[in-house]
Amino acid sequence: MAPTRRHLIAALGTAGSIAALGVKPTPAAAADCTPDQESDGTLDSQPFFGKRQSGVVTPQPAAAMVAAFDVLADDRAGLEKMLRILTARISVLTKAGPVPVLDPKLPPAESGLLGPQIYPDNLTVTVSVGASLFDDRFGIAAQKPKRLVTMERFSNDALDPKFCHGDLLLQICSNTAETNIHALRDVIKNMPDLIALRWKLDGFLPPHTIKRAGKDTVRNLLGFKDGTANLDGRDDALMDRVVWVQPGSDEPAWAAGGSYQVVRIIRNLVERWDRTPLAEQQRIIGRDKMSGAPLGMNAEHDSPDYAKDPKGERISLDAHIRLANPRTKETDASLILRRGFNFSRGISASGQLDMGLLFVCFQSDLNAGFLAVQKRLNNEPLEEYIKPTGGGYFFVLPGVPDESAFLGQGLLGA
Amino acid sequence: MWSTGFALLTRHSRPVAAIGAAAFTVLSLFSQGFVQAFAQALAASDASAPIAITITSKGCEPNALTLPEGKTTFKIKNGSARVLEWEILDGVMVVEERENIIPGFVQTLTATLKPGQYQMTCGLLSNPKGTLTVTATGTTAAKAEPSASDLAGPLAEYKVYVTREVGDLVTKTKGFTDAVKAGKLQEAQSLYALARQHYERIEPMAELFSDLDKSMDARADDFEKKEDDPAFGGFHRIEKALFAEKSTAGMEPVADQLMHDVQELQSRIGVLVIPPNKMVGGAASLIEEVAATKISGEEDRYSGTDLWDFQANVDGAQKIFNLLRPLITPRNPALDDRVQANFTKVDGLLARYRGQDGQFQNYDKLSPRDRNALKGAITALAEDLSQLRGTLALD
Repeated sequence: MAPTRRHLIAALGTAGSIAALGVKPTPAAAADCTPDQESDGTLDSQPFFGKRQSGVVTPQPAAAMVAAFDVLADDRAGLEKMLRILTARISVLTKAGPVPVLDPKLPPAESGLLGPQIYPDNLTVTVSVGASLFDDRFGIAAQKPKRLVTMERFSNDALDPKFCHGDLLLQICSNTAETNIHALRDVIKNMPDLIALRWKLDGFLPPHTIKRAGKDTVRNLLGFKDGTANLDGRDDALMDRVVWVQPGSDEPAWAAGGSYQVVRIIRNLVERWDRTPLAEQQRIIGRDKMSGAPLGMNAEHDSPDYAKDPKGERISLDAHIRLANPRTKETDASLILRRGFNFSRGISASGQLDMGLLFVCFQSDLNAGFLAVQKRLNNEPLEEYIKPTGGGYFFVLPGVPDESAFLGQGLLGA
Repeated sequence: MWSTGFALLTRHSRPVAAIGAAAFTVLSLFSQGFVQAFAQALAASDASAPIAITITSKGCEPNALTLPEGKTTFKIKNGSARVLEWEILDGVMVVEERENIIPGFVQTLTATLKPGQYQMTCGLLSNPKGTLTVTATGTTAAKAEPSASDLAGPLAEYKVYVTREVGDLVTKTKGFTDAVKAGKLQEAQSLYALARQHYERIEPMAELFSDLDKSMDARADDFEKKEDDPAFGGFHRIEKALFAEKSTAGMEPVADQLMHDVQELQSRIGVLVIPPNKMVGGAASLIEEVAATKISGEEDRYSGTDLWDFQANVDGAQKIFNLLRPLITPRNPALDDRVQANFTKVDGLLARYRGQDGQFQNYDKLSPRDRNALKGAITALAEDLSQLRGTLALD
């Protein structure tokens, strides 16, 4: 336990010096600034209470996990109980505090994975619900977000039902895999009779690159920069337009402040990709592999001018970036906020690597967002090298304004 | 280096503007260096200046050119009043061409030419053709990028091979689906692998038509409800009926669809102009198929006939490789040796599992060690064959 304590003290010291420099260690500042190099990050924190949940427009930390559950509660009261416990646990897990000490003759209160003091470590636990929650169990069918459906197979998908869908999804993100596991085990332990794990997948991003978010872009496991043209989560007006369901929309009133979340487990066939000529890799993606610049341009953030390249001489008409975001007025409605992570797990039956992209995106309209983008991407040349195998569609519940409220309160009309 | 410097800057929480300026300086230095290096690389690869040709209503100016072998860039100006195309001809064969040059506009074309006598078209068909003499310099003879005419022979022969295989596929699939529809279980079982091998040999060409490939060759894994998915059809759905359910019940519509798909494939391949990079890349694609789905025995899981598909993929890759060998050997003899050795090794391993009657063993009979022996040679082949397109300068 000693090392953890030392880290905590060191981190506290650093937080103090930031304050002395006149930078408030508020979550907003944490989002805008590169984290302090000497901090171990354990005291970085994201707010839990607020109009909207964290973990959507929040900058991505290095470690992620998505965990999908079946809800075991069999009535509305059980569902409310589950959501109240979940609210309470996330509230505890996302801020620093001591772990209760129990009689050693009993099992300990929790896993102990973080030591005697829980530290936030940038943790966000984002709660969303699947279409199946709105069946006949809880009497909330009429409250279903209008565009929430069960994910269907696209032509290149090979969906594994053991990694699809769910009543409830927790997207757990923090600085380390251990903090995510700590949170997951805490949640599971606190309501074994109310939820059952259906599937989960861990993801990661390179810590050195995300420290320079905005100045550098992470690479996916195909070796390409991924997220160059992603939207800026700090642009509130843009997020209101693209990500968050607004009051007065055609969605149920409770859904304002929520968002549609898409999760896709996309295996990258990396052995085959690594044996593909570089020129073809770049043509398939539409970017220079090393610099990230759109083909024919100089720098990563140069905007490809597709109007001047109508025949696809520089960037193929079926290049991934061109299909995903054609940058026309008509396709402006299909903008999405991506928040994906890399994943790596085991090997295939043939002994090839099972790794790829844990794709996550958010949008206020599932049809206009992801579904429109995916429709354009269907049959793209990249499909030869990728295989979507799981995931689902979910709806991120609106935020919890304060301690008197709970997740999904509006949905339950309580 | 610059990342460390940058991190230090931010750590001391300088005002944002200062950070921005510093980052900009570093970035612009970085990109300047990059652009310079890039320009040098370009200059090195394009040693000779472009050759300007103007096409008037009367013909080409100049009308006769002499060039050294290798890469040449032509700047073709349309000085006539109508849209034209400009071609380099080797006899009747078009070696290179640039289409749709609008009056008054200049288009460039880069061609790699071997020594010899060529002609160029000069606008109206009634205009005299120009002459293009390419002289040998000796320096690039063996390594030069193959010209379109070098590939024409292998491409034509490959088209013959593909046409024959797809013809056999139609014939054998007819026999197979007829047996299925007539409820002749044993006969259908014995014809399954024999029909499929013709598909597996030319799979990269069949995959150019992804709708048909998905309809004919999808596996249960591709569907969320797996074997119970109503969309699961094609060869593998019938395979499941024949070898797992041991019945042809309900397979009539699936057999009809398969036969329809196979005939559709034949008609599309009939008019297909095989793109050179698809043929050359096809050798690698076939071996990638083996590495991804044949080694595991998941392709023909009900029948255990994976070795038939395995052999057919290897045959198809070897066919392509052998057709291209005259172009590969002079450019990369070591690659040629390794690929030949690995094909021999794989064929030898596969032969062990084939009886006197020509029938392959069930794939279940192979031990993990047997499978690993195949995996090593196949993966080495995949790595080597991935060099083919680059070796022949086809991207």
